[in-house]
Amino acid sequence: MTTPAADHIYATGLRNQWHPVVPSHFVAPGAMRKVTVLGEQWLLFRRSDSTLSMLADRCPHRGAPLSLGKHLGDRVACWYHGVEVRTDGTVSSVPGLPGCNLEGKKLVRSLPVREVGGAVLAYFGDEQHPDPAPLTLPEPLTDPGTDAILCYAEWNGPWRYAVENLLDPMHGAFLHHESHTMYDGDTTAKFRIRETGRGYFFEKTDQRGVNFDWVELCRTGVDWVDLSIPYPPSAGPGGPFGIVGMVCPVDESRTGVFFWRYRNVQGWQRDSWRFLYRTLIEKRHWEVLEQDRVMLEAMPADADQHENLYQHDLGVVRLRRLYRTEAEAQAAALAQTR
Amino acid sequence: MSTDWPYLDVHQSRTHEPTPYEYQLASTLEEVFTKDGHELTDVVSGLNTRQVHAPDGSPWTEESFRAEIHRLGA
Repeated sequence: MTTPAADHIYATGLRNQWHPVVPSHFVAPGAMRKVTVLGEQWLLFRRSDSTLSMLADRCPHRGAPLSLGKHLGDRVACWYHGVEVRTDGTVSSVPGLPGCNLEGKKLVRSLPVREVGGAVLAYFGDEQHPDPAPLTLPEPLTDPGTDAILCYAEWNGPWRYAVENLLDPMHGAFLHHESHTMYDGDTTAKFRIRETGRGYFFEKTDQRGVNFDWVELCRTGVDWVDLSIPYPPSAGPGGPFGIVGMVCPVDESRTGVFFWRYRNVQGWQRDSWRFLYRTLIEKRHWEVLEQDRVMLEAMPADADQHENLYQHDLGVVRLRRLYRTEAEAQAAALAQTR
Repeated sequence: MSTDWPYLDVHQSRTHEPTPYEYQLASTLEEVFTKDGHELTDVVSGLNTRQVHAPDGSPWTEESFRAEIHRLGA
């Protein structure tokens, strides 16, 4: 049975886990930035020593957005009445009424944050789960022998469609046929699901290392996918490049996508790849990503309500069942406590 | 930093628009990797054969290529 609460969670992103927010460089030292995540308004606040905080973008006094206020180094002053809030969410001062009982109270929600591979991750717990879930980072972002370069983009479409696109490797042979990396391989395939301790592989049974032939969904406190795509010889030594993909549910109809392109290269091989990437390859990768964006943004809002799926969609079906079940469980658990 | 939606920036890894020298070196490297091979000796001889030299005009050595590609790709 679905409820409006479960529908809302399914549409705006699962709670009680970590999600990527924006690239780290979007918030410079001493700056702040308004962001929307899971359909809610937040304020990223960075002190001059680079320490990052994430606060609900809502003054505890009258609800004005703190993001319109003033950065005071270790706190933000609301523009409306000057109420000052520290980065842990505590009201430090009510200038209009010194000694007011708001002072000293933690009235603004603040989220645990981590910065990983050039991106901000935050933990979005519901009221029953305020403490952050254990987070295991993707190995390609922590392994010293692997070099990863982040690409971030914002798409007008539901977050689920962006994840489903990644659990659908077969689109590579068609949508990306005119590309520098996915032009090759068979246009027919059989797929299987292979369970892992942290998610599942969805992979071709009859081709590997030619196109976008497999993907692993990993649920390690944050949801991410791992996949590998062959490079042409022009990209130099190091073999295929991998992608760690994450998705930020911005709201019901907008999505931030995070793609770390990674390669197991070191020394001059690493330097060569990075140089070629910046100079020539990044633009080609971008053109491939744009093909995905154009397709997903053109999908009708009810695309997943009127389908005729076939064997290649097993990975998508499983993903939906997993997310749907979890959204319903989260909604049911919250309903019991209210 | 613009906060306009959507953020769609082709180049996110660059610190500057590549110079003509950098573009030429990159495209020649791609040709060398495609036609000559992936070893460092292939790269040095491939660039020198094509007269695409170091910025000071001298032929590449393994040491000078390592140093320059590190400067460009670090």
